[in-house]
Amino acid sequence: MKTANIITAVLLIIFGSYYAYLTFRLPTRNLPNTLGIDFMPWLLVVSLFILSILLLLNSVLKATREKFDPKISLKEGMGIIILTVLVYAYVQFMYLFGFVRVTPVFMAVLMVMTGSRKWKEIVVLSIASPVVIYVFFQKIFQVILPGGTFF
Amino acid sequence: MDGMMVTALYEVLLPQNIFASMVGVFFGLFIGSTPGLTISLGMVLLLPLTFKLSAVTSVCLMLGLYASGMTGGSISAILLNIPGTPSASATAIDGYEMAKNGRAGEALGVAVASSFFGGIFGLTCLVLAAPLIARIALNFGAPELFAIVLLGLTLICSFGQASTIKGLISGVIGLIIMTVGLDPMMGTPRFTFDTIELQAGISFLPAMIGLFAIPQILVGIAGKVQVIPEYKSKISGVLPKIRNLFKLIKAMVIGSLVGTGIGAIPGAGGPIAVFLSYDYSRKASRKAAGYGKGEPEGVAAPEASNNAVAGGALIPMLTLGIPGDPVTAILLGALLIHGLIPGPLLFQQSPQFVYSVFWAYLVANCMNLILTFSTIKLWVKVLKVPERILLPIILILCVVGTFALRNTFFDTGIMFFFGLLGYFMKKYGFPIVPMLLAIILGPKLEEHLRMSLIISQGDYSIFMTHPISLGFIIISIFSFVMPLIKPLWRKRKADSR
Repeated sequence: MKTANIITAVLLIIFGSYYAYLTFRLPTRNLPNTLGIDFMPWLLVVSLFILSILLLLNSVLKATREKFDPKISLKEGMGIIILTVLVYAYVQFMYLFGFVRVTPVFMAVLMVMTGSRKWKEIVVLSIASPVVIYVFFQKIFQVILPGGTFF
Repeated sequence: MDGMMVTALYEVLLPQNIFASMVGVFFGLFIGSTPGLTISLGMVLLLPLTFKLSAVTSVCLMLGLYASGMTGGSISAILLNIPGTPSASATAIDGYEMAKNGRAGEALGVAVASSFFGGIFGLTCLVLAAPLIARIALNFGAPELFAIVLLGLTLICSFGQASTIKGLISGVIGLIIMTVGLDPMMGTPRFTFDTIELQAGISFLPAMIGLFAIPQILVGIAGKVQVIPEYKSKISGVLPKIRNLFKLIKAMVIGSLVGTGIGAIPGAGGPIAVFLSYDYSRKASRKAAGYGKGEPEGVAAPEASNNAVAGGALIPMLTLGIPGDPVTAILLGALLIHGLIPGPLLFQQSPQFVYSVFWAYLVANCMNLILTFSTIKLWVKVLKVPERILLPIILILCVVGTFALRNTFFDTGIMFFFGLLGYFMKKYGFPIVPMLLAIILGPKLEEHLRMSLIISQGDYSIFMTHPISLGFIIISIFSFVMPLIKPLWRKRKADSR
């Protein structure tokens, strides 16, 4: 936990420095007697630096009592990467082919990922769920769903 | 005023609004009774459905969920010892013991009746206190409003967090995120990286969905799926006898008082309120020895409390625009989508809408009582729906919901980015609620700060010369600095020993 907090504090200081650099590059277009557009960002840069240093000090001095488990198992890490790629692919395919055509495939893949092995359950739910969502969103609540470029 | 109240009641009782309330209650019971799904998650999933609805219908839908989600949480807490929501944690202590002794039906009945009592108690406090607070707040200018937002943010960031520093960092990062987009005073682009989509800033809806839903999905899909044990015994005698309920009045009143009070403090929330209520009720009870062994009072106090929290949390949200908990933060977001800005001006500009909120909450509580009693056996079956089915559906709803906001996949990307951020924040012990609140309140904070300084022509003493603003700023500094110093002080004290 101590190491995780120290790493986090260092990463936050790096992020704060980058944000400070971006703030420094902001254009100066100020009205008389008013704060510039960079006032709030500078305030936040200072706050983030102070808090990150305090987090660092607290961790080094072991003054914190919090408990958390920062470990990410290989399975979990791989799962996150695969899921990110899947969501990206889902969005791209949905853009081309529309919600109703792509979602059953995505749903089936996700169900297999979460441990579903009954193929009947997978087929029925992966077809029924998108249809129900489509009817509920588009027909009842009139919320537009992606229709697809090709259709 | 009376005419407006009647019109508001008439509007809430329109068939579509009653239907919305019913849907909200059903969805809330489903979300609440399913372990692992939180009310906040339910709210963000419902939010996209409200885009095309009227503001009153949206409020009916969401308040229905808010009222019933708390009650639904007690079902799995009583039957399986797994609280459906964090606010049902204290209910499990005596509720599960009662279920083990074959009194599951009685425990569920007490939980539902107490929830109704707490809900109505919270609503009464809301109706009495909100107009009064709003009337006072109407006299506030930019410096006071800045100080209130600052106080709300610092309280949420520091109160009840395992690490105050991390709570504050989470809040500051939320504020940093909100600086992306056009500057609110002069319209100059900030941190937009020449992207057109970023000029409008980062919408809070994808951020909310990402922060609340995606980490849960990532843990479930990428990590391990939670296996819920099955409840096999029969449930009977759910409808409680009025005579027995009267014996629990004291516990319910204690729970409701604590719940409303804690709910009104931004950042405190339900889990703190239920354990405090349980403790106070035990101390005040003649049956203290029976607590923890299946005492109905041990169910009544926390259940009244968690529903009273909702009424309490609505007070600062409606009157000052400061949400008391994550759920009211999402509700605030929903109102903003409909062009309604919670705060003192809401009471002046849209009083009828405010009355509609009161009536909608009353209808939600009544609907919750009736529907929960009549369908309780259904929700016991819902406990059997596995996460392997729920999680993929939730992920699809998240994608669809964020797309529906502006019909662009850019928001879906933002949602997933926040989801990953939320996942790593949870892993590294950073609370996500302060970030969410900062995302919602950030623009207001900057606007009031800069407006104050325009009024004073750049003179910072404006915050000190206004007594209310000064008072709030002192409390903010106190709540900001104290938790930071406390751990170091504690460490020094321990070393000196």
